[in-house]
Amino acid sequence: MRKLMSLALVAALAIGLVALPAQAQDVDIHVFQLKVEINEAISNFVKRYSENTPGVNVTVETIGGGADYGGTLRAKLQADQMPDIFMIEGKGGYELWKDYILDMSDADWVKDTDLAYYSPEGAAVGFPIGIEGFGLGYNADILGKAGIDPASLTTFSATKAAFEKLDGMKAELGIDNVVSVGTSVAGGLWWVTSQHVFNAFYAGYLDYNDASVYEATLAGDVDQERLAAFANYLKMLYDYSDPDVLINGNYDAQIAAFANGKTAFITQGNWTDPNFEQLGAAFPRGFVSHNFLEEESTGLYIAAPSWFVVNAQASPERQQAAVDFLNHMALTEDGAKYIVEEAGMVPAFKSVTLVPKGDFSRALVEANARGGNFNWYFGQNPDGFNVNTLGPIFELLATGTVEDFIADVTLAFQELN
Amino acid sequence: MTAKKIEAQPQTKKAFPRRLIGEALVMLLFLLFMVPFFLVVINSSKTSAEIINSPVAWPANWSQLITNVTAIFTSPIVRYTSAFVDSLIITVLSLAVIAFFSAMCAWVLVRTKKRWSTAVFLLFVSAMVIPFQVVMFPLVQWFRIIGDTIRLPLLGTYHGIVFAYLGFGCSMTIFILHGFIKGVPLELEEAATIDGCGQARTFFNIVLPLLMPAFVTVLILNGIWIWNDYLLPLLVLGTSGGIKTIPLAVAAFAGAYVKQWDLILTSTLLAMVPIIVLFLFAQRYIIKGMVEGAIK
Amino acid sequence: MKRRGIVDFAFMLPCLLAFALVILVPFGLGIYYALTDWNGVRAEINFVGFRNFQSMFTEPQFVYSFLITLMYTAINVVFVNVVGFALALMVTSGLKLRNFYRAGFFVPNLIGGLVLGYIWQFIFNNVFVDISQTLGIAALSSSLLSNKDTVIWAMSFVNTWQYAGYIMMIYVAAIQSIPSSLIEAASVDGAGYFRRVRSILIPMAANAFTITIFLTLTTSFKQYDLNFALTNGGPAMRFMGRAIKSSQLLAMDIFSTANSRNLLAEAQAKAVVFFIVLVVFSLIQVTVNKRREVEA
Repeated sequence: MRKLMSLALVAALAIGLVALPAQAQDVDIHVFQLKVEINEAISNFVKRYSENTPGVNVTVETIGGGADYGGTLRAKLQADQMPDIFMIEGKGGYELWKDYILDMSDADWVKDTDLAYYSPEGAAVGFPIGIEGFGLGYNADILGKAGIDPASLTTFSATKAAFEKLDGMKAELGIDNVVSVGTSVAGGLWWVTSQHVFNAFYAGYLDYNDASVYEATLAGDVDQERLAAFANYLKMLYDYSDPDVLINGNYDAQIAAFANGKTAFITQGNWTDPNFEQLGAAFPRGFVSHNFLEEESTGLYIAAPSWFVVNAQASPERQQAAVDFLNHMALTEDGAKYIVEEAGMVPAFKSVTLVPKGDFSRALVEANARGGNFNWYFGQNPDGFNVNTLGPIFELLATGTVEDFIADVTLAFQELN
Repeated sequence: MTAKKIEAQPQTKKAFPRRLIGEALVMLLFLLFMVPFFLVVINSSKTSAEIINSPVAWPANWSQLITNVTAIFTSPIVRYTSAFVDSLIITVLSLAVIAFFSAMCAWVLVRTKKRWSTAVFLLFVSAMVIPFQVVMFPLVQWFRIIGDTIRLPLLGTYHGIVFAYLGFGCSMTIFILHGFIKGVPLELEEAATIDGCGQARTFFNIVLPLLMPAFVTVLILNGIWIWNDYLLPLLVLGTSGGIKTIPLAVAAFAGAYVKQWDLILTSTLLAMVPIIVLFLFAQRYIIKGMVEGAIK
Repeated sequence: MKRRGIVDFAFMLPCLLAFALVILVPFGLGIYYALTDWNGVRAEINFVGFRNFQSMFTEPQFVYSFLITLMYTAINVVFVNVVGFALALMVTSGLKLRNFYRAGFFVPNLIGGLVLGYIWQFIFNNVFVDISQTLGIAALSSSLLSNKDTVIWAMSFVNTWQYAGYIMMIYVAAIQSIPSSLIEAASVDGAGYFRRVRSILIPMAANAFTITIFLTLTTSFKQYDLNFALTNGGPAMRFMGRAIKSSQLLAMDIFSTANSRNLLAEAQAKAVVFFIVLVVFSLIQVTVNKRREVEA
């Protein structure tokens, strides 16, 4: 083997190139994240931080497009380029990367939030990047013109009645369809239905920390009555949406239909606020709950869906510098400015008093203050289950029957065990 | 129009109207072929909102193209200028190494009529069907092991990725050159040997110049692949190191959930332009080589 | 004689070394990983025998991906070669702008599959649907990408658009290497255009057919970028009683097993099977074509 190695060396020299000299003076902190929408904001924030913090140089890198985050992170690990701060999106990521995740229980930011990611052993390991939430978004102008009070849409039958009324007034209201929904695997919208809308089934009508329905479902015990009610609700959303957007549409198409006032509702979350601003959508917006039962409910689906974690295998200086950086992000005015004003996110830290400017984000802050909201569970499903197994099932409902959908979903969870 | 000699269809006056129809049909087909590029160009001159709302429409303001290009050149994420230089260095070095070493190897394989040479050739050819996906994760791990052993890192370096491209590119290049060298008359080499040329001199003085037309093909095919390649640079260079190719830079604009289409399309356009210009330039040499071949 | 052996070895060394270190060793490692529970992160690796191979054949998605990949490959081999050959005939005939066309038809190759996929997704979903609704063509009123029976054809269409120009180049080289005296003699003897194509051009280009069919076969079988960007595996369909993705080709299935499901060892096992099938098919193809070449 030695011989082979020296041959490789000869070949490398034959190519006639010299390795780049390594450089190390300051503490370099590398952040690797996947939220393209905050790319610019975090790049600027990091630049400010590096300028104002002598001896520390923070760089940020955003990945997207063809490569998925987990695969790239794994490639980085194998290439000895493991970042100092990276992201996890829940249990799957934690389990995979736990050898590389630092216990930050003693960090100052932990005391300022309820939404840190805790390891099964109870250590605070994940820094909540922001709060996100979703529900059934509405265009208040259109509902107003149709004489529908969004506050009255608290049960399945009320929502259904509103859908029917809007459907009958399409020409008058200038809308093409009642709701903008996408479920296309090809268009990359599988997550809208098989993760977000379906989360209503896991969490709706339950206490925030009540995981009983989700845990039973994951164990293969799928509540058929509840699933049938949910399927009915989902089919209604599909029936009142544009079939082209539903089956083929991408994110842009789904957003554009609602932003242009062509639908009264949309199944999306607060991360769409910047898109609406960009598209010049000036109408007031808000959320109602995904009401698939007759029980009254106004709760939204709110959680911190992703966390920054610090690489536990980095040198102690880098670990410390990374924790300091996160403290700065959470606890200073500069950090609050970045989270709320520049990145347009809903802050997960109690000391932050700035209010986000998007309507959906503000609706979230209000709902959060009001309480009675529901947790997110879809991130805890096994890796790839949502996209590979549930995704096609949810798309098939667009052309198939509720009965097949119920059977498919039930079987999918049973086969997990 | 020196290529008249090699036309398959002799021109006659009788066929004139049919020729005209033929010309028109090919022109139409050509225009249809070009429609997607047209869409890239017009959409590179729009804002993100314009693209979403009216993707087929004529741009409201062509100066938006300049705005988008400026945004790309000044973006701290993309560093387009340095990405361009890195792409250029990697592509040119890889092409030189692949063409030169593959020609040497292919020549030996053609001129040695032994069982082992057939076996080696078949080994190279069968490797062409190995999907990149089979080797990509083991490759990175293996490169790290080699780098640690010889104390010369292969990951994140120019020589590492050029070496990888030699490994991936030599199969197809040897395959193409092998076919071409078979057509080079053996008499020329024998004459050189009689004149006292050694094996190496015969190759460099006689064979290599004859291979120039084949090199053009080889360089273009490999060049397109290496210039556009995304996965290998992603794995070997990584995205946080100092070296970054254009595809890696372009990918920085695309997100998992949200896509900055204005910048993606404009950066695609910018990535396309150099290679198209280069190709149009090399096109003349292809024809020249082929005409010379026809005269001979 | 001995000296010759040393020079031979020295000439082959760079390629052999790169080939061994970049392809053979990682490939061997890949096979080894296929027999373990490797997940790419954990340092501990356990040998599990053929467990990873057993599970894949009862997995509806994998079985369908396998079948659809065979179909996609077959369609492409026909489409790309027919179109490529037709284009080659066009640009070698007496057309006024033939050099311009030759360059133009080749241009789609200069761009990466990822970007092309996004552009064509937009064309299929918006432009075609829009045009058909205006003209009232019912068959196109919903996107070809949303129907499980048409999606593979749509993908082949895009692949042909991208790849036919490349194949055309190889045919052009072959056609131009045919002595023009042969063609002139035939037309003096009164052979019409199609007769000349069938009796002279096609047999004389038999060499090229071996290469072009081999290239289209292997690239179609390994297709990933375009598949990912154009359809992402969609639309959904029912197969073996399960909801699956109807256009997820094998390469993409392997990728999704490794990256989205984090089953690296299972993905390696699939890749090994994938590789074996591809080798068998290409060996058959090359053997059959080579036999034809000799007969011609």
